[in-house]
Amino acid sequence: MRSTVYTEWTKLRTVPSSAWLLIGTVVSTVALGSLITASVNTDFCPSPVECFEDTPKLSLTGVYLGQLTVVVLAVLAMTNEYGTRMIQTTLSLAPRRYRVLSAKAIVVTAVVLVAATVGVLGSLLVGRLILPRNGFTPLHGYPPLSLGDGPTLRAAAGTVLYFGLIALLSLGVGAIVRDTAGAITTVVSLLYVLPIVAQFVPDPDVRKFLLEYAPMSAGLTIQVTVGVDLLPMRPWAGIGVLACWASAAMIAGFALFRYRDA
Amino acid sequence: MSDRFGHLVRAEWTKFRSVRRWVLGLLIAIGLTVVLSTLFASVGGTDANSAPAVADRFHFVHQPMTGDGSVVARVSGQEPSHDWAKAGVMIKQSTASGSPYAAILVTPRNGVRFQADFRTDIGGSGRTAPLWLKLTRSGTTITGYESADGTTWTEVGSVSLSLPQTVEAGMFVASPEIVEIQRQFGGTSIGGRPTLGRATFDNASVSGGEPAKWQHEDIGASMFTSDETGATESGGTFTVSGSGEIIRLQQGDDDLIFNSFTGVVFGLMAVIVVAVLFITSEFKRGMIRTTFAASPRRGRVLVAKALVIGLVTFVAGLAATAGAFLLSQPQFRANGYRPPAYPYVHLFDGVVMRAVVGGALFLALLAVLSLGIGAILRRSAGAIALLIAIFIVPQILFGGLPLNVALWVGRVTPVAGLAIMQTTKRWDTAIDPWPGLGVLAGYAALAMGVAIWQVRRRDA
Repeated sequence: MRSTVYTEWTKLRTVPSSAWLLIGTVVSTVALGSLITASVNTDFCPSPVECFEDTPKLSLTGVYLGQLTVVVLAVLAMTNEYGTRMIQTTLSLAPRRYRVLSAKAIVVTAVVLVAATVGVLGSLLVGRLILPRNGFTPLHGYPPLSLGDGPTLRAAAGTVLYFGLIALLSLGVGAIVRDTAGAITTVVSLLYVLPIVAQFVPDPDVRKFLLEYAPMSAGLTIQVTVGVDLLPMRPWAGIGVLACWASAAMIAGFALFRYRDA
Repeated sequence: MSDRFGHLVRAEWTKFRSVRRWVLGLLIAIGLTVVLSTLFASVGGTDANSAPAVADRFHFVHQPMTGDGSVVARVSGQEPSHDWAKAGVMIKQSTASGSPYAAILVTPRNGVRFQADFRTDIGGSGRTAPLWLKLTRSGTTITGYESADGTTWTEVGSVSLSLPQTVEAGMFVASPEIVEIQRQFGGTSIGGRPTLGRATFDNASVSGGEPAKWQHEDIGASMFTSDETGATESGGTFTVSGSGEIIRLQQGDDDLIFNSFTGVVFGLMAVIVVAVLFITSEFKRGMIRTTFAASPRRGRVLVAKALVIGLVTFVAGLAATAGAFLLSQPQFRANGYRPPAYPYVHLFDGVVMRAVVGGALFLALLAVLSLGIGAILRRSAGAIALLIAIFIVPQILFGGLPLNVALWVGRVTPVAGLAIMQTTKRWDTAIDPWPGLGVLAGYAALAMGVAIWQVRRRDA
């Protein structure tokens, strides 16, 4: 198993696009987070205290963009091998197929978690610098962002976890679909399009269910630190829902990978 | 030479139509657009037709007036509570909100106006208080005058209004709501905040009928308490405070044509994928080397590809937008979007045609932009992700952004192209239709330019 992991790590490491995609994850997460944080101030609030701005969540908005490169990285880890027929070489060297996919999952998740940690910490640092200038000062009830604060730590750690689960979801879909464009479109539809389409489902129960249990909306409840009581589900339950999505994709991926011809 | 280019275009067309997945992809784009647009149109509704047609709220200091006569007063001061705050004299059928009236009034920023029956609005001089205002009634004609000194009068306008013999005449003050952007709990909303107008009057008199005592009251429901609105008199000077607006309400501000195309946002995903694959699959399979060997002028190959994908997408887009419009409209009508607030529109009406054909143009330009980015990046994964980041992520984030930032994004990014399907202008309109499409066309041209420059100097 260790050698399979090492093989997959070498494959990932030696493809130039991997490094670029991981750098892209960090940069896009921090950049979008900073831009959005910088654009929000207390000017339009009834008063700065009555703004009820969720500053940790605001600083971490970059995840909406940063996850895209994670999707691409994780999908490519699987589909690239089919595009180049490399998969036949891989499987002739490591015939235990579950090991190959497990090794891919370990390597991809590990590098994504590292990049996500950098991106999340960077976003919080930028938020800590920008927010007080935009009126979110301790005087107005917004202490500087700090990992010493329980909810902020949960939002930060949860966002890193969110990135990891998105990687697993994408890898699983990649193993199911096996085609780069198709797999990326599928994951993007699940993440971005499902919640929009769900708003227009006529049946209120089905609509509520889809809106709450869509992978992105459920997973990102982990970022909420203001009005947690108003959430349809606890933050950890939300990320649990995303974990179910990721597991389902991985299980289906394992099954299809095991029983289909490569 | 042009004949050779014709061959090139035909070769690219053959490539496109012989790949079943690409043709299927465009059919999916049509299907997604039509089905989702119709689905979105089938939910929601409106009560625009049962909502009141006019707003008629102000504070009125009045006395009865019988037969011909006039009402005159000097507005000695007016607080600038709103650009369209109103202070003046009025003749009104009764104190019932919505009853016919004629008024001459002064505003802090829009000069003197003669207004009647929620319809007539004639501009006078640009003067502000202090000034004299007068209304005369002669038969069915009511005429409004203004004057700087109370002796030389200038006519502002007149209107024919059938009123009963006895009407109410006097002074009034109104001040409309201020549109306010509010941010709370990470979201931005738009609302109205009522303002309280205040003005002072003197030399007030009503001629016609028996002299009577002045009475005063709020006309229509006031947003303020009776302590805040009101009128006091001391030594012939009246101080009047009032809030509200006297205007015909614009009914139905939903853009029923733009809302027929909500599915385009999802159809465009399929267009992005097909257009990117149309170029990146050639790089991936090494087919591009054969293509360039057959026609060494590489720029032309890209132009031929852009032409084919643009035209094919335009035709598919036309089917998608026309289908979405035709199927969505009956859904809207069934949900209460009916005349007079929402007049019926036809596919061949000018604005509808602009939206339908423009929507197809939007998709065609999007396809060309996608082709250009695909040619620059040469990788389907990166190109598709980048285009989705540009076109889908902003839609998700719009709700949480401050309004001015959201409008800015809608103005300078390729998303501006969606504006071609808009047919009304509101506070949340980012850009006009054709300039919006122009922004997208600019990005598409830029991407194609860079792609042609790169494909010439890089190895295939």
